[in-house]
Amino acid sequence: MELANTLSQDGESRGGVLAHLERLETQVSRSRKKMEEPQSAQAEESALGTRIHELRRLRDKLRAEVKQHQASVKASTTNVEPDQTLEITEQESLKRKWENVKAILQAYRFTGISGKLTSRGVCVCISTAFEGNLLDSYFVDLVMRKPLQIHHHSIPVFIPLEEISAKYLQTNIQHFLFTLCEYLNAYSGRKYQADRLQSDFEAFLAGPLQRNSLCNLLSFTYKAEPEGQSFPFCARLLYKDLTTTLPTDVTVTYQGKRKYCTFCSHD
Amino acid sequence: MDETVSEFFRRTILKIPLTEMMTILKTWNFLSENQLQTVNFRQRKESLVQDLVLLCEENRASLNDAALLDIIYTQFHRHQKVWDVFQMSKGPGEDTDLFDMEQFKSSFKKILKRALKNVTVSFRDAEENAVWIRIAWGTQYRKPNQYKPAYVVYYSQTPYAFTSSSQLKSNLPLLGQALTIASKHHQIVKMDLRSRYLDSLKAIVFKQYNQIFETHNSTTPLQERSLGLDINMDSRIIHENKTEKERVQRVTQEIFGDYPQPRLEFAQYKLETKFKSDLNGGILAEREEPLRCLVKFSSPHLLEALKSLAPAGIADAPLSPLLTCIPNKGMNYFKIRDK
Repeated sequence: MELANTLSQDGESRGGVLAHLERLETQVSRSRKKMEEPQSAQAEESALGTRIHELRRLRDKLRAEVKQHQASVKASTTNVEPDQTLEITEQESLKRKWENVKAILQAYRFTGISGKLTSRGVCVCISTAFEGNLLDSYFVDLVMRKPLQIHHHSIPVFIPLEEISAKYLQTNIQHFLFTLCEYLNAYSGRKYQADRLQSDFEAFLAGPLQRNSLCNLLSFTYKAEPEGQSFPFCARLLYKDLTTTLPTDVTVTYQGKRKYCTFCSHD
Repeated sequence: MDETVSEFFRRTILKIPLTEMMTILKTWNFLSENQLQTVNFRQRKESLVQDLVLLCEENRASLNDAALLDIIYTQFHRHQKVWDVFQMSKGPGEDTDLFDMEQFKSSFKKILKRALKNVTVSFRDAEENAVWIRIAWGTQYRKPNQYKPAYVVYYSQTPYAFTSSSQLKSNLPLLGQALTIASKHHQIVKMDLRSRYLDSLKAIVFKQYNQIFETHNSTTPLQERSLGLDINMDSRIIHENKTEKERVQRVTQEIFGDYPQPRLEFAQYKLETKFKSDLNGGILAEREEPLRCLVKFSSPHLLEALKSLAPAGIADAPLSPLLTCIPNKGMNYFKIRDK
């Protein structure tokens, strides 16, 4: 116990001394660092300062060069005018040509079938018309792959697109497009005629015009004169051929007594 | 007016929210402008409904008029029903479809009435040569239940019909038969497609959901995709993974396109597959029977949510074709088995 005490006493006192020495050492190193820090900070500062000066000098130099160059260009333009105007007219003529080509491409839709190349193939536009009236346009986006595929389209669901593509898409794309064109133009034409009948001949119609999606069956009651004493006729138009805009069968009845006026428009 | 009919009127008009009352009554076009003007629309709903029912009685409204009002209400609130899609097919080499709406309606009604004496069938024409059909089912001995009707929406000269899931499933085959025969088809099949959003279902099966086409006439050319990485952002900010982000955007755009996605609420996958594992052995790997489980994805707008998964960093691009094929195949119910 005594030994331990003396040891601990000695230890403490030694610990005390050693610890004290350690503390003094750390103090010295800390104070040394503190003395160095401002020095290193200062060194950094001065380095940055010189860098800033350098960059400023570089900037001024470049600015002067730019000004010089601009001045020289201005000086030279007065001497080189005819060349520049030549450039301008070339530019203008190119621009005009480009706009011309763009206009031609845009006008192509009046031919009925036009297209634009896309990243995956071609987007075909079928523009329908009837008797000189431009009607709706329909699109078919094709993917150029080995089997040719339709990516998406705006063809109405009641047009037999699956049938037509099953028959012709892989073998004869021209025929595919022309057949589709036929169906769509005929549908557009029938729809246009039905719309016109409803709107322009409202006074002659005695009731609503009954139609279907394909506009290939029309049923209506009409009078020969809009007012007065004419008798109402019931007309029923059937368009069995989906590629034409004229009916294949027409039945007109008068007061229930069937007055057969059926005719075929096949030539 | 029959008590049951008047009660039916009362309950139908009561369903209509006050904000829509005027619009729906005008669309119904059964009560004249003058009559509507005599009604005080600012009173309590119960009294308003009473007044309107009285007016209907004055006009000798029939069950059919009430059914029409019910159709109009459903047309305004089509999202309240869940719609199934049926696909019909014709035999090969059929003549041109000369669809006559009046013939269709009378044929449809006749078939149902012949099979079930007690049934109420009502029609309302809609835009694009479509027709909404309302069917209230009864039995041999009971009058039709007007409060659980089935609805069918059919676009003429198309092979698709949309039906509201009727609670009375036993009448479904009869409904299918009537539709098929009346529309001059041969077969009808239920598609694995279901949603509340009738217009989205129509867009999917009619393939109308992508209507963006490249033409020479478009004034705004298809520009390079702006990646949501603002070009005006400070040039001192560097985007890590820029190439990867661009790739993800490109792949997402190729698959989902630039158009608004049709709206579906869920996709359901029934799996019946054997357990597959990289590790050899394990109890599940030895199991001969396939595991059965059901995975269901739900969202207020499922396809938009799927579209945003890869750009948000939650999933890898490209997404699994099981998810991306939904509008293309027209399915949101899948059964997956081992090949």
